[in-house]
Formats: sequence, structure tokens, C-alpha cells
Amino acid sequence: MSSKATIYSFLFMGLAVTALLIVAPVAYAVSLSFYQMDSFVGAPRFVGLDNYARMLSQWVFWRALINGFIYSLGTIVFQVVLGIGFALVLNQVFPGRNIVRGLSILPYLLPTVVVVLTFKWMVDGSIGVLTKVIAALGLPPVQWFESPGAAMASVILVSVWMWTPFVTTTFLAALQTVPSSLYEAAKVDGTNAVQRFFHITLPMLKPILTVIVLLRAVWMFNKFDVIWLLTQGGPVGATEHLAILSYKQAFGQFDIGGGAAVATISFAILSVAVFIYFRLFPLDTE
Amino acid sequence: MAEVRLKQVRKAYGAAVAVHGVDLDIRDGEFVVFLGPSGCGKSTTLRMIAGLEEITTGTVEIGGRDVTRLEPKDRNIAMVFQNYALYPHKTIYENLAFGLRMRKMERAEIDRRVRSASTMLGLDPYLERKPKQLSGGQMQRVALGRALVRDPDVFLLDEPLSNLDAKLRVRMREEIARLHQEVGTSMVYVTHDQVEAMTLANRILIMRDGHVQQVGAPLEVYDRPANLFVAGFIGSPEMNLVDGHIAGTVARCGALSVPLPPDAGAAEGSEVVLGIRPEHVTVAEGPGARPFHVAVIEQLGAQTLCIGDVDGVRLKVLMDRSDAVRHGTTLPVQFRPERLHVFLKQTGLRVNRAGAREGQRPAA
Ligand SMILES: Nc1ncnc2c1ncn2[C@@H]1O[C@H](COP(=O)(O)OP(=O)(O)OP(=O)(O)O)[C@@H](O)[C@H]1O
Ligand SMILES: [Mg+2]
Repeated sequence: MSSKATIYSFLFMGLAVTALLIVAPVAYAVSLSFYQMDSFVGAPRFVGLDNYARMLSQWVFWRALINGFIYSLGTIVFQVVLGIGFALVLNQVFPGRNIVRGLSILPYLLPTVVVVLTFKWMVDGSIGVLTKVIAALGLPPVQWFESPGAAMASVILVSVWMWTPFVTTTFLAALQTVPSSLYEAAKVDGTNAVQRFFHITLPMLKPILTVIVLLRAVWMFNKFDVIWLLTQGGPVGATEHLAILSYKQAFGQFDIGGGAAVATISFAILSVAVFIYFRLFPLDTE
Repeated sequence: MAEVRLKQVRKAYGAAVAVHGVDLDIRDGEFVVFLGPSGCGKSTTLRMIAGLEEITTGTVEIGGRDVTRLEPKDRNIAMVFQNYALYPHKTIYENLAFGLRMRKMERAEIDRRVRSASTMLGLDPYLERKPKQLSGGQMQRVALGRALVRDPDVFLLDEPLSNLDAKLRVRMREEIARLHQEVGTSMVYVTHDQVEAMTLANRILIMRDGHVQQVGAPLEVYDRPANLFVAGFIGSPEMNLVDGHIAGTVARCGALSVPLPPDAGAAEGSEVVLGIRPEHVTVAEGPGARPFHVAVIEQLGAQTLCIGDVDGVRLKVLMDRSDAVRHGTTLPVQFRPERLHVFLKQTGLRVNRAGAREGQRPAA
């Protein structure tokens, strides 16, 4: 076999695996959105874009879209800002640094269910630690899951707590790659610590930051488990975003076509967002 | 412009002492080179002057001002790093201007300084480029320029040429010498390359294991190395170091007798090490000439280096080019007492005071 044939055969196998594992399920999901189905066993009926028109005309869709943006934007901003802050702190030399560095990754290692249950215990109306602390401070009790605003804040809080370590760890690793002589040159050039962060650290870590933000954004926009376990999208849809809506539509309302249409729209929005994002922040800036 | 004064400057990392008390007065406009083998504490000393390394004990003064506890930015120094340390995401212009901008200098003045430095260093065509788009030599020039625009009290350079190839190194060396002449600012320059040290320095400070071995003008340390370490470190090819003992007007080294200078400074019978530079062995017949049996020949172009034995002692002899010498050739050689270096074996310290160039008075 010539080397060219070898290359092509490997290329073909790669493409085939990609098609099988990625393209096929997506295509199947997208195709579902053009049919009316009330279960996976019943006979589907082709309805064209009806499912889209129906979903887009419902205000729950737009509410879910807006909730999704609030949730992902809120979680990303806090994760990234806090994550970078912690990374900068952990990058300092202090006694016990390695232990603290190790501990800081813990929340990321816990299963989501454990985190969510822990949080629910902490805010439990009668025995919760947070409830007692708030009471001890003389503050009015917080309706963690009952009021719409507090519910959104709760899911964001738990999500930020869980995934900030990812940002911290990645950023901390990236910090080690910045040559110390750059900081020294900047010190000699008359900068203070804040100026060094903005003139050295941030520009040097921009490529990695670009990827972190993108990864977190995609994950948060699609994040299902935390919200489902905490609020199931409630109260009255206050924390319901597209992924939850799609699930509820397909398996709660037995409207598989509608659920698939929501998922497809969500997928399209993400694709466009990622495309624009890379246009705005190309990875090869230098 | 200012003088720099180090008083008992010491650096310890826990129990490990990297620099053991350096005393040095750098005169205004002087070019001082720190020279020594790897790990001897040259960089650490320089970085203590810069303020990048905390000073364990001792004081540093720049221009009469005690800067021991000041931040680098408050010392009015500029530094050139071995790996250039250019800001990769900034253009060359921005790299040059950054230090001035951080000091809130007026825009027009920044521009004037950047343009003048860039013209001086031949960087005009590259101002809009990023460091990545420059060659090593050009990056090195930018690093020099970044120091230059600051118009500091003192320039600190840590092995600035060691990342360049041999040819470029020579060119940049000349350029640094020219810069020093033009701006006249004091410079402290770290290197382990003795040729760089000899050619650039007004004075060389030689270090070993955190201890200063000798401070002196290039020819002074060449002519009168203070101890065995300096004797072996300065000069290429290396000085011959031969063990012996004092016996009247000669030193006996096995079967070889080497005539001593009148002020050898060592008592009869004391154990000494003789330092004989290869270039100070005269190849000529005459009274006291000894036969030198050549074993190895290194042709250097202008000169010929022979390694061989004289009365059972192995020596290197550097002579004018000779195409005729072969392995096994015997040459008559004479030693020049006035060029001999005598070190006490026990302390390694030089004991004869003269041995300098003719007519030069030994320094106190
Ligand atoms: N952070 C540190 N902790 C402990 N020891 C250190 C530290 N930094 C440097 N040293 C030690 O201090 C000594 C002097 O180091 P320095 O960098 O000044 O050497 P140098 O003369 O510049 O050598 P080179 O020519 O290799 O650059 C070395 O023995 C080194 O191991
Ligand atoms: Mg060094």
C-alpha cells in the first residue's frame, strides 16, 4: 500500500468515526424536529417547520432563552473573575501553598448530585447551616428556591462554586508559563502589581483565557444537571432555560418534535455564538 | 549618571549563602564587569543592585542615595536581561516606550527619546513589528534600547550577549562599547566570558563561590592575578601552574629550576605554585635555556601553541607561528623572572608584588 493510500485510509476512518459519533446523533436530533411524534415508538408525521413556529411563538421559549443567557453569563463572569483571583492568590508564595492548591480543586471533583444535596442541606429551613447563620446575623430568611430571583441566584451560586476551581486550576497552570523575566523587566520599567497584571499576565494568558471562557460558556449554556436537581426549572419557570425546556417538552409534554426543535435552536445559537467569538478573539493573535 | 556603592552586600537563601559580602565602589561612568564561573553569584549580586533580589545584609547606594530597601522602579536603574524579556504582545515602539509611559512622561518626550534610541541602534525599520518578527541580534538591540530611553543612573546587563552566535556577539560587544562611550552612563555587566570582560571593562570584579577574588583593570588582573583562581581563570590559553619550592634564587619544580624575581616574597623552602603564562616562555637559545620536548601542537593561525615537557614538567608554550615544529621537536626555552607569578601553595595567594608590565607600580 502506498503511503498516500495509507494516509487516505486513515483519514477516511477518522471521518467515519466522527460521522458515526457526532454527525449522526446530531442529524437524528435535528431530523426529529421536523416531525410530530408523541413517543419514540409511535409513527412520526412530517410537519416541516411547524414545530419551530409553534415553539418560537410561545413565550416560555423566550423566557427560557433569556434565562439561559442570564444563567450562563452570570456563572461565567463570576467563575472567570473569581477563578483568576484565586489563581493569582495561589500563585503567591505562602506556607502550605501546595495543600491549599490541592484543596481548591475539590469542589470540581465532587459529583453534581452531592454538591446539590449539600447545598440543599445547607439552606434547609430548619437545620441548614446557612439558614442559621442568616438568622444569627438578624437578616430576614432567604426563600432560596421559592422566589424567582433567589432561585436564579441559587443555581448560579452553586454552579460558580462547583466550576470556579476549573478556571483556577487552568489559569494557575498557565501562569507558570509566563517567564519571570517579563515581570522583572516590568518591575524595572516602573509598574505596580496591578499594571503588571494588565500589561503582562492578561495579554500573555489571553489565548488560554479565550479557550477557558469559550469552554465554560458552552458548558454553562447546556448545563442541565445542576438546575434540574436544584429547581427543575422552577419556581414557575424562573430557572428554566433551553435545555430544561427541551427536556420538559419532549418527556413531560410528550412533544418530541417540539423538544427537538428547541434543542436544535439552542445548538444553532451556540454555533453562531462560537463562530462570532472566534472572530472577535482569534487564538493566533501574535 | 551616578556612582554605585556596595557595602558588605550579602545574600543568603536560608542556610545557603550565595554572595558573601561584596564591597565595591563603581565610579560615575565606569564600566564594571562581574566575571566568574557559573553559579558564583554574579547574577545575584547584579539583581541585588537592581532590587530584584532582596539584600540579606549590607547596603547599596546609587548616586549617594541608600536604595537598599527600595523597589526596582524607585532606583532609577535599567536592566538588560539574558533572554531579552521583551513584551511579546507589544510592538517594538511600545516596548521601548513602556517604561517611560509607566512614569507618566509627556507623549512628545517619549516619542523623541524612542526615536533617538531607535536611530542610535538601527531599529527604525522595525518599530511597528512585534518582537517575534525580529532576529536575535535585533531583539538584543531592542532590549538595549529599552534601557537606553530611560536615561537611568546605571545600566545593569546580565549576560546580554550569551544567546547570540559568536560573530554577532563580537559585533554587539563593539556596539555596547560604543554605546557606553556615547552615553557615558555607569554600566555593570555580568558575563562568564573573559574576552567580553577584558575588552569591555574599565574594571573587572572576579567572583568565585560568592566571594570576590579580585577587582582591577583588565590588564591588572592579567598581569597580577591575586590568587591561583584568578590566575587560572584569566588568560587564554590558560596559565601554566607548576608546584615547587623556593631554593635560593630559583624555585625547584622536580628537576626543573625556574629563576625567581628578586622580590619573590616567599621564604626559603616554602611550598609555592608558579604561574607561567604560555606566552611568557621565550623560545630562544641563551644562558639558562632548557630543552622543551614538544608533544602536541595546536596551530592557532597567528600563533602556535605547543604542549610538551621541560625537565619532566608539562608546560604549554605559546610562540609566534612556526610551521616547522613537529611532535618530538626539541626547542630551547627560557623563563622570564619578571613575568613569573608566585603563589603560596597553602593559601593560594600571590606573594610576589612585581611581575607587572615594565614600569608599572603595583597597586596597594
Ligand atoms: N532562589 C534560590 N534559592 C537558593 N539558591 C539560589 C537561588 N537562586 C540562586 N541560588 C544560588 O546562588 C548561587 C549564585 O547564583 P547566580 O545566579 O548568582 O549565579 P551566576 O554567577 O549568575 O551563574 P550563571 O553564570 O550560571 O548565571 C548559585 O549557587 C545558585 O544555586
Ligand atoms: Mg547568571
